[in-house]
Amino acid sequence: MLTRRSFAAASAAALVPFSAQAQMRYPVPTVTLVTHSSPGGGSDVFLRELIKHLHPVMGVNFAVENVRGGSGATAVARVARARPDGSMFYATTPTYIQTTLLSRPEFGYDSLDPLAIVFLDPEVIYTRVESPFRTLADAVAHAKANPGRQRWGAANPASLERIAFEKMNRLIGARAAVVSHEGGGDLMINVLNGTLDLGIGEIQEIRAQLDANRIRLLGVVTEERLPDFPDLATAREQGVDLVVTKFRGLAGPKGMPDEIAAMWHDALRQVLASPAYKEQYAKESLVPALKGREEARRFTAEFAAEIAATLRELGVVR
Amino acid sequence: MGAFTDPWTVATAFGGVLWGILGGALPGISPSIAMALLLPFTYGMEPIPAIVLLASVYVGAEYGGSIPAILIRTPGTNSAAATTLDGYEMARQGKGGEALGISLISGLVGGLFGLVVLVLATEPLARVALAFTPAAYFGLAVLGLSVIASLAGGSLTKGLIAAALGLMVATVGTDPVSGVPRFTFGSPELLGGIRPILVMVGLFAVAEMLVQIGEPEWAKVEARDTRLKLPSLAMFRRLLPAQAIGCGIGTFEGVTPGAGGTIAAFMAYNEARRWSKNPDAFGKGAPEGVAAPESANNVVTATALVPLLSLGIPGSNSAAILLGGFLVHGLTPGPLLFERAPDVVWGLYGGLLIANIAMLLLGLVILTPALWLVNRPKPFLVATILALIVSGVFAIEQSLFDVGLVLVVGVIGYFLRWAGVPVLPLVLGVVLGFMLESNYRRSLVLSGGDHRVFIEDPVALGLLTAAVLLTGFSLWREFRRNA
Repeated sequence: MLTRRSFAAASAAALVPFSAQAQMRYPVPTVTLVTHSSPGGGSDVFLRELIKHLHPVMGVNFAVENVRGGSGATAVARVARARPDGSMFYATTPTYIQTTLLSRPEFGYDSLDPLAIVFLDPEVIYTRVESPFRTLADAVAHAKANPGRQRWGAANPASLERIAFEKMNRLIGARAAVVSHEGGGDLMINVLNGTLDLGIGEIQEIRAQLDANRIRLLGVVTEERLPDFPDLATAREQGVDLVVTKFRGLAGPKGMPDEIAAMWHDALRQVLASPAYKEQYAKESLVPALKGREEARRFTAEFAAEIAATLRELGVVR
Repeated sequence: MGAFTDPWTVATAFGGVLWGILGGALPGISPSIAMALLLPFTYGMEPIPAIVLLASVYVGAEYGGSIPAILIRTPGTNSAAATTLDGYEMARQGKGGEALGISLISGLVGGLFGLVVLVLATEPLARVALAFTPAAYFGLAVLGLSVIASLAGGSLTKGLIAAALGLMVATVGTDPVSGVPRFTFGSPELLGGIRPILVMVGLFAVAEMLVQIGEPEWAKVEARDTRLKLPSLAMFRRLLPAQAIGCGIGTFEGVTPGAGGTIAAFMAYNEARRWSKNPDAFGKGAPEGVAAPESANNVVTATALVPLLSLGIPGSNSAAILLGGFLVHGLTPGPLLFERAPDVVWGLYGGLLIANIAMLLLGLVILTPALWLVNRPKPFLVATILALIVSGVFAIEQSLFDVGLVLVVGVIGYFLRWAGVPVLPLVLGVVLGFMLESNYRRSLVLSGGDHRVFIEDPVALGLLTAAVLLTGFSLWREFRRNA
């Protein structure tokens, strides 16, 4: 039934001129977006805000489904087995790639077809205000002069943030102790009480302390400076060739028609440009970085290859 | 204190507590899951009722866990595990109604005490939370393990065996330092480790049902207490020292992120027994053995908010859900929350007060039917409970793997009981194992492998010394009694 409808939509798309495609009806009435995060968690909030703005643009109903367990593998399996008719997608973050590499589940990131990359979540390096370091360059100079003396903290053991600090360690030869925690809260306590010299995380996670002037940002680990922190230099500008790309996107089951992907691309572009949504995501320091299907596929494959190489180097996987 | 005049807030507090008590009473639904299930409904609400709703669920669930712990020896939540020791014993002696009354009043005392602490002392207590380095957390975990001697029942050797088993279970999952998967056998379900709630549901609920089924003439209804009995004034006076111990320990454990209600309840039980004039009565139906842990875990419902409100750091899964509730409404808990949204903070305080009153009133209404329910013919009771266990466990993550795990743990629990191995030390090992190991190794990464870090950190030194002294004291007393 659903396939017949999507077939009708696909053939209709072939008849109408390209510009009319955005107005074309979406093949299914309800789209389920699946996330591995629990209600209130990062991807859950991302989806719930996104659908508020997507609903009027795409004219379909959206449902968010929290499929937890298996560090994301259960949610991936659910979407991978769904019909490729545009009715179900998974909210991607680097987690789904890491879980695949760490435990090789039956359905991994490569059982899904990336649909789009929507945002980049910028990572910042920070310290407490009592620290003598004013910039990342200060901290790096001190670390180089005192190898093996500094202590850096990341939220989780197999996280992108830990990988970033291990890389930085190698880049500047600091031999710093990189300590992983059980989430951002733990890490923040150890930065605030001076146990750690540096911490790394998303702006959203450290917002409370930042606003209260308890911590100081030293550098941002992105290609370009952030719009809402124009004075914060990137790590590259400060002599450390480190860029971390934490992304938020969507992926669906394999075999979905290109027309559906094109409709998503159009809709996402419209939504990202809308002032109401802009205000919302700017508050969370999310950087819009829309990549369509082809680009998202390439991006995901490259990202996975890089993470796999680093996890092997760290000795986490063989 | 506009919360009292707003009927909507009062209604959400009552609704939240009711949902919390029911969720807490169902084995498998932990406080954080009861909260998470309601979280999506708060998205469309005003901030104050939304936050009050979530906080009320927490209050209700921490209390609700004690009801099945007392009536059917099955803690509904992790932190009610310690209550099974004397609570169920009282129920077996036909004093179930009295035990429920004691747990309700002690929960109320704890909840109100915690609220006063939260309102008056958030600022200084936040500094306590910040003083906890990884070395200090290691000390705290060791101190928690020193409780084993009290939980071991008859044989200390068997208690230690059980605790060691628990610590082994805690090693399953992602290595806390390197990120390497350990003992997961390639299964992504095990990457996050085996959650203590699953172990507990298996060891208590499933094993208890197996034991009941195995009893001859098990279908006969026993004559049991069917009336709720609130403690008399004399009994209340007798319980005060135990409740005071619970309040003190609950405050401390609540403000240190990561410790939480379970450890608070176990330690409160242990200390209440230690300072009691009649420690031998513990484990044989001592009312103090219900009062101490139940006041401790309800203090935590308020004091766990200290690091969340003042630092923006969630100290437990439940606090993390509450943090989600704040964020959804555009509020960032942290040092500036008191300046930016004082109405929300005071609304939350007011809501917590209403929630504690609601807990008392709803408890009075719910407990009599609960007593009636457990006195139904056993075949119906056991079948219903097993169905609730399986569906509850499945509901958490829609995972059949979890259901299988709980059933297997239940069979293991049955054989452990048959062998006379106490299961509480095992639960304690599972709860503390990860905290113990991760903080030990984290400290050594920080110090470059130097063990002096545990002596140089004043908080760690204090906690480790306390653990040695308390264990030494317990052992000395055991030897003296046996001699």
